[in-house]
Amino acid sequence: MALAPAATPVRAQSPAVSAQTVKAAFLCKFPGYVDWPAGADPADRPLTIGVLGSPAMADELVRLTSDRKVGERPVEVRAVKGGDSLAGLQVLYVGNGTAEELPQSLAPARSLPILVVTDAPGALASGSVINFTVERDRVRFEVSLPAAERSGLKLSSRLLAVAQRVERGPGP
Amino acid sequence: MELRTSIHRKFALVTLLTAAIALAITGTAMLFYDLRSFRSAWITDLDAQAGIVGFAAAPAIEFQDPQTAAAYLASLRGKPTIMAAAIYSASGSRFASYVAEGAPAVEFPALPGTDGHRLGGSEVELFRRIVSGPEILGTVYIRARYDVAARLWRYVGICGAAMAFSLLAAFLVSQRVQRIVTAPILEIARVARDVMDRRDFSARAKQASDDEIGVLAQAFNGMLTEIERVMGERERAEAALVDSEERLLALNAELEQRVALRTAELEAANKDLEGFSYSVSHDLRAPIRAVGGFAALLGEDHGAELGEEAKRKLGIIRSEAARMGHLIDDLLAFSRLGRRAIEPVDIDMEAMARMVYERVGGENRARTVEFRLGSLPTVRGDRALFEQVWVNLLSNALKFSAKREKALIEVDSITTGNELVYFVRDNGAGFDPRYQSKLFGVFQRLHRDEEFTGTGVGLALVHRIVTRHGGRVWAEGKPDHGATFYFSLPRETGDGGV
Repeated sequence: MALAPAATPVRAQSPAVSAQTVKAAFLCKFPGYVDWPAGADPADRPLTIGVLGSPAMADELVRLTSDRKVGERPVEVRAVKGGDSLAGLQVLYVGNGTAEELPQSLAPARSLPILVVTDAPGALASGSVINFTVERDRVRFEVSLPAAERSGLKLSSRLLAVAQRVERGPGP
Repeated sequence: MELRTSIHRKFALVTLLTAAIALAITGTAMLFYDLRSFRSAWITDLDAQAGIVGFAAAPAIEFQDPQTAAAYLASLRGKPTIMAAAIYSASGSRFASYVAEGAPAVEFPALPGTDGHRLGGSEVELFRRIVSGPEILGTVYIRARYDVAARLWRYVGICGAAMAFSLLAAFLVSQRVQRIVTAPILEIARVARDVMDRRDFSARAKQASDDEIGVLAQAFNGMLTEIERVMGERERAEAALVDSEERLLALNAELEQRVALRTAELEAANKDLEGFSYSVSHDLRAPIRAVGGFAALLGEDHGAELGEEAKRKLGIIRSEAARMGHLIDDLLAFSRLGRRAIEPVDIDMEAMARMVYERVGGENRARTVEFRLGSLPTVRGDRALFEQVWVNLLSNALKFSAKREKALIEVDSITTGNELVYFVRDNGAGFDPRYQSKLFGVFQRLHRDEEFTGTGVGLALVHRIVTRHGGRVWAEGKPDHGATFYFSLPRETGDGGV
């Protein structure tokens, strides 16, 4: 996973093709800076990442994690459809939908200790914890602390330090 | 006073030298230790900085945020020795970098090295990998000035100041403390000087301490006591010696005085005696001549009136008067010898002996006498006196050998180490060795006048002449087997007699 940026050096980040790969790599790295509430992330089980509405991302993740682990743990990628149970997931990537559609699709995850990652401008307002952004052709992300608090997640300050934007204060 | 400053100065010198050496060694050891520990601490510190920056920058690498990484690197400006720093990604490309303000242009390594540091000149380069769990995320690079010279000079300055203060303190302390040690020594020195200057062995050093110096003082005092005692004894002995010497001198003087007195008395007595014998002989000559003369006149003038018996008696008177005249002449000659001064000349003894023999032997031409004369060495002496010696000895030899049909007279000499010995040997009547001691006495005669005529003065004269020339006389003989008369003279006569 550390080799991901090596394969795609920062300066040479090509927008269309590799953005997906960079995001997949980021997804694998976020858990290293997140603390789940007790019981929500048993260490003896694989880290499970759910992918909603983006088969391409699921494929990319599977390809990326097939032969490597996140931290000390293996990674399981699960494609989810709307209405599927979200229990057992640590991370949920919502790859489709606009800001208008997202609140609805995110509703089931709200009360669960799941790190919800969205990929749409302004998507933090719909209740996600992390949202990918693109700044001058580089993939970055923004963070919502109220959303994380609602889900019972603790984010490392080191993660916040590299976020493009951190949303504080009471969320919706 | 010189003594005092000398020992004080030496003491101070020893103290200061000891302190200085100890400080120098300590300082050097501390310096080496400090430089080593300073370097390792400094590098450990740099490493820790790199670790902190790396840990903080780990998310920035993971999420590809070089600005944040650069911001972390920029926090290193709090350490002025750090000139440059960089973060390399895991792929080895430079991800973010930092150059301190005012630092010269830095050339960053193209690729990160392995963990560790490299010291080069006054700079150190350090690499530290950023690790998250099993993964290597990247490498932190730090380049810093290793300012050891400044540190060294500061340290030397501190050491120098410490040394200066320590030496000052040591000097002050030694000034006070040394009195404890030097005071007793100075006390002994003072007493020793007193003893030397005033020869006063009754002085004693105060024993101020119980240490070796105390022992020294005690021994010194003991020595003084001993010297005082010995000196006292010596003085007494010297006084006694002087006293006895004085007494001895007085005794000597007294003895000498007595000897001089006795000698003077003896000389006076001798002189009186000689004067007496001379005047007696002299005064006796006239009457005895008169007796002889008148006896002759009586015979000539009144011979016809006298009977045969009267003539015979008159003849006896005349011959006895003549004999007495000879005696008196001899006595006078003997006595003159005692008063006459010797006039030394070189004498050819051989020629003299021959001449004298011819003179005294002339009247005995009728006899058969064999005269053997050996070679005689020359001698220095009074010519008239030695003629007298030869006359007496040779006429003696002729006289006592007169009854031999074949008389033999030998004259010869023997030269020994320090003496010239002359002898006259005859084959005449000889003498009884028992009376040898009487031979050379005045008027001592071993033969009756009927046998051999003589006055008994001849050998006494020989004895006296030879003795006056520093020699000696002696004789050997047996009755009827001849006699040998010897006289010797010293070889070295100063003005060359031989």
